[in-house]
Amino acid sequence: MRNKSMLTEARQIHLSSELISLGARLQLLETETNLSRERLLKLYKEIKGVSPPKGMLPFSVDWFLSWQANIHSSLFVDIYRYLLAHTDSRGIDAVVKSYKLYLEHVVAGGLECVLSMTRAWTLVRFLEGRILKAVPCRKCGGHFVMHAEDLHADYVCGLCHVPSRAGKTAKQRKLDTAEAPKALVS
Amino acid sequence: MKTEQMAEEIREVNLSYMLLAKQMVRQDKASAIYRLGIKKELADIIENLTHGQILKMVGANLLLCRFRIDDRLILEMLANHNRSHAMSQSHAAILMAGQPLEQLA
Repeated sequence: MRNKSMLTEARQIHLSSELISLGARLQLLETETNLSRERLLKLYKEIKGVSPPKGMLPFSVDWFLSWQANIHSSLFVDIYRYLLAHTDSRGIDAVVKSYKLYLEHVVAGGLECVLSMTRAWTLVRFLEGRILKAVPCRKCGGHFVMHAEDLHADYVCGLCHVPSRAGKTAKQRKLDTAEAPKALVS
Repeated sequence: MKTEQMAEEIREVNLSYMLLAKQMVRQDKASAIYRLGIKKELADIIENLTHGQILKMVGANLLLCRFRIDDRLILEMLANHNRSHAMSQSHAAILMAGQPLEQLA
């Protein structure tokens, strides 16, 4: 559907450029705005300087449940739920705001940005589709992302009960060994 | 610390808190509500405060901002970081996002 209003279009271009600079994929923009694919492509190239990545969006539900990804996703979801509960912010606007607040937390804590904009958006869709759900931890009371169909009565989160070798991915090991020699030199 | 000096410092904290809060609410209300941990009604009031009103508010010898962490668990997470500090910070942020807000009577 083509929109005739120039103001609506200006708003959508503004939203799209914000989403693109946050790292959103083209499919996300196509769903959230009424702008044509050609215009979105142009906008993407103008902002990023490269063509958008092709192929399907990440669609795995289980990705959100692995230890590190779950903590990041849960933080994002908790911010999102907070905004829905206490502000007038709704829809994609609430997703963008929560994602920005999540990014702020990542930068402040010097963490790796595990959750991408596109994944965050997918996560909200999974929550709305009742595939995933925010479940309270029995020990700390914080809400964490889990399968909606699982049994949750006795759930303990990955932060109260840290699994052994948590967060020790191949990538992290590589980083650690890469940094060691530098420390020796200085 | 002398009483007058303490009163003066309270005034300064109040003033910077109120000015910062007002600026945050004006810039982006939704994010400000998350950052400040206040209700929307209160954010609306802060948004419309004039500088004169703020100056009158900060003069008392009471602090205007309340201690936000009333949970022992969150306090311990933020204060003692024995294992990964970043992870306890994330844990604390998750818990704080789920905290109920102060009611505005």
